[in-house]
Amino acid sequence: MGAFDTIAFHPERCDGCGACMTACSTAKGGASRLSIVPGAGDGRFELALCRQCGDPRCVMVCPAGALFKESDTGVIAWDETRCIDCLLCTAGCAYAGIALDDASGRVSKCDTCDGDPACVKVCPTGALEWVTAGDIYRDYGEKEDLFVPGLSACQGCNSELIIRHAMRKIGRNAVVATPPGCIPGMGSVGYNGKTGCKVPVFHPLLTNTASMLAGIRRQYDRTGRKDMVVMALAGDGGTSDCGFHAVSGAAERNEKILYVCVDNEGYMNTGMQRSSTTPFGSWTSTTPVGDHMRGKSQDAKDLPMVMVAHKCAYVATASTGYMDDLYAKLDKAIAASFEGFSYLHIYSPCPTGWRIPSDKVIEACRLSVESNFVTLWEYTREKGLHFTRSPDRPIPVQAYVEMLGKYRHLNAAETAHIQAKVDEKVALLRQLAAA
Amino acid sequence: MGKTVVIDGNEAAAWGAALSRPDMVAVYPITPQSSLVEYLAEFIADGRMDADLMDVEGEHSALSVLHGACLAGARTYSATSAQGLAYMFEPYFRTPGLRLPIVVSLVTRDGVSPTCVWGGQQDAMSVKDIGWIHMFCENQQEICDTIPIAYKVAEHPEVMLPVNVNHDGNYLSYGVARVDLPDQEVVNAFLGEKDVNWHACLDPERPMAVDPLTGGATGAGPSMFVRYRKGICAGMQNALSVIEEAHEEWGRRTGRHWAPLIENYRMDDAEIALVTIGSMTGAAKDAVDEARESGARVGLVKIKTFRPFPAARIAEALAGVKAVGVVDRAVNFGWNSGPVFQEVLAALYGSAARMPVMSFIGGLAGADITVEHFARVIERTRRLAAGEFATQPVWLNEND
Repeated sequence: MGAFDTIAFHPERCDGCGACMTACSTAKGGASRLSIVPGAGDGRFELALCRQCGDPRCVMVCPAGALFKESDTGVIAWDETRCIDCLLCTAGCAYAGIALDDASGRVSKCDTCDGDPACVKVCPTGALEWVTAGDIYRDYGEKEDLFVPGLSACQGCNSELIIRHAMRKIGRNAVVATPPGCIPGMGSVGYNGKTGCKVPVFHPLLTNTASMLAGIRRQYDRTGRKDMVVMALAGDGGTSDCGFHAVSGAAERNEKILYVCVDNEGYMNTGMQRSSTTPFGSWTSTTPVGDHMRGKSQDAKDLPMVMVAHKCAYVATASTGYMDDLYAKLDKAIAASFEGFSYLHIYSPCPTGWRIPSDKVIEACRLSVESNFVTLWEYTREKGLHFTRSPDRPIPVQAYVEMLGKYRHLNAAETAHIQAKVDEKVALLRQLAAA
Repeated sequence: MGKTVVIDGNEAAAWGAALSRPDMVAVYPITPQSSLVEYLAEFIADGRMDADLMDVEGEHSALSVLHGACLAGARTYSATSAQGLAYMFEPYFRTPGLRLPIVVSLVTRDGVSPTCVWGGQQDAMSVKDIGWIHMFCENQQEICDTIPIAYKVAEHPEVMLPVNVNHDGNYLSYGVARVDLPDQEVVNAFLGEKDVNWHACLDPERPMAVDPLTGGATGAGPSMFVRYRKGICAGMQNALSVIEEAHEEWGRRTGRHWAPLIENYRMDDAEIALVTIGSMTGAAKDAVDEARESGARVGLVKIKTFRPFPAARIAEALAGVKAVGVVDRAVNFGWNSGPVFQEVLAALYGSAARMPVMSFIGGLAGADITVEHFARVIERTRRLAAGEFATQPVWLNEND
């Protein structure tokens, strides 16, 4: 079963204006193929629209073979020459996605306007959204999984998601470095002589990932194998702390490396100790909370900004809460790694160390971005820095902070400090983005 | 025939490296090695040497870059000294376990503290037990010749270990002497092309995991780890004969025959012997010659290969003497003696020979060990042979 682009509906944004229905009617002729209707008494609206189901009841019940699912777009198509107007499909669909158009006397349904839906374009509140994530899953599904099956990460950890996606993207013509930490801890380099990857993979030292990769890349360039991807899947400690000399040196020399830093804000594999990317106020095992200490007393090092100062070929931040954004950046980062040092910083919550339920990790990602605690942007030498998701209209950082157990002890002043630092960072980013 | 030049030891090392045709040279400057990397950069800039030069941000990365390049199939070279070696230690410690045939020149120097930038072998002696092969050179010609020999040894399938080719900071690094440069074709024929080290490589054509977590208390872990450790020991022991063969072949091709493990100098009828290492050997041989003229039956054993330690050869060479004076250019603090002294004692105890042995420490921090100093060493060793034992080392330069 493929995954396809689709129209998503955010009821909390819908004000019931009906512009979408007018646009549909105008674009397709006849009655609107979607309906906005009042919900069950909560003041919200509901949407009646074809879901373009993967297992469509309408298709199953059609006695004439007039309805079928298009294999390339996923749209449920209607063949008017075959239709016998029996209306069984309208009874078969539970979502009111296909209905009788009184004017024509025949059924009509959404065809997504060939992937450019008129309704979405006119929606003033963003309640209707054309979601292209289908590309990701289709693309992902077609590529070979190069990482060991199964999962030995902590429940809820997104690092495995990052590894799998990144490795599927780079393909087999690649060399992967996973310095000590959670990522080799998940078995990427294997144990006692058994490997965890289908591509060459190695444990660098915690401290020399970028340097070893530089040596590998230079030698393959020298022997004419320039199309190989040479990639690090590293943690924040080995990148921002003891391995920083190698990262900075390789970036300064513009070594052609793809360096992915999976930032879980501490040395989580060794027992959740503080790193330089651990944010202010965080409980860690070396910044505990007691009568004389209240978590980390310093602010985090903003490593992606440090890499911008290196004027790398590519620098971007990403979050597993926004996979379409992450996926697009992976593509760009891989392409840039053939030109020079390419740095992708992915924020990845640690359910174990941050003390959040494993089913709340994606929610934490989303709130971190919606509150601007994490900002999504990219930088190139040519175009400078720009946001890939607007930082306008953020929610208060309080909403993010209060869902994480590691901030449980924070008082109002400490939360205000975090908010102030977030505002300060966004102000600086806005200046850079405007420049 | 190759040409004859007058160059210092650092340039001799640069020539030895260039003739070995490495693919990757990663460097970071440090006194007294700096001019060596400048020569390499110049050779590459002038097109005399076809290597990729990486000017890295520190020695830790210099060796790390070589690790990466070597795992991608490259022949690699670097050079360092003292603090640079200390900073390089983390990947240095790892190299033998990966069995990477990397060659690094150590321009030996005393380490900080006290702050010091002058010659001494404290750096090399501090890393003698890590699993690197160590060869010490006596003069500029030997430096130039030993580097290609080092590659031949390192890349030998029965060895596959990294090699340090060591030459004394100041005396050899800056001292100028005549050096006959071998023809490139001669070195090419001697060394051949480097094969990819298939036991550990990072190549998508042949995917493997390099350095997975190994060991632990259960399963295959302990025995697998022991197998790796024993492998390094086996490589080291195999190196003893490989080093001899490589020197022999080098001698055949170039006409220059260096003693591969130890050199016995006037030892045939010697009653007492000196043991030396590195550039001090020249002055020591002069002192032996002078003592011989006055009738003293004194000989000398020079250690060229310090790791693997040629224990049997040394025990055999010293078997007939009545006393031995070992001269060190470094200190073994825990034993209140020189490190080579300790090694010689250990080698002798493995044989039936028993004679008193004394530790002399000199040449620290760039101090000269003169013929006069060695005359004193000989004199004191003669008294040792006569029964005047010592409980303390003799510090040769303590009144200089």
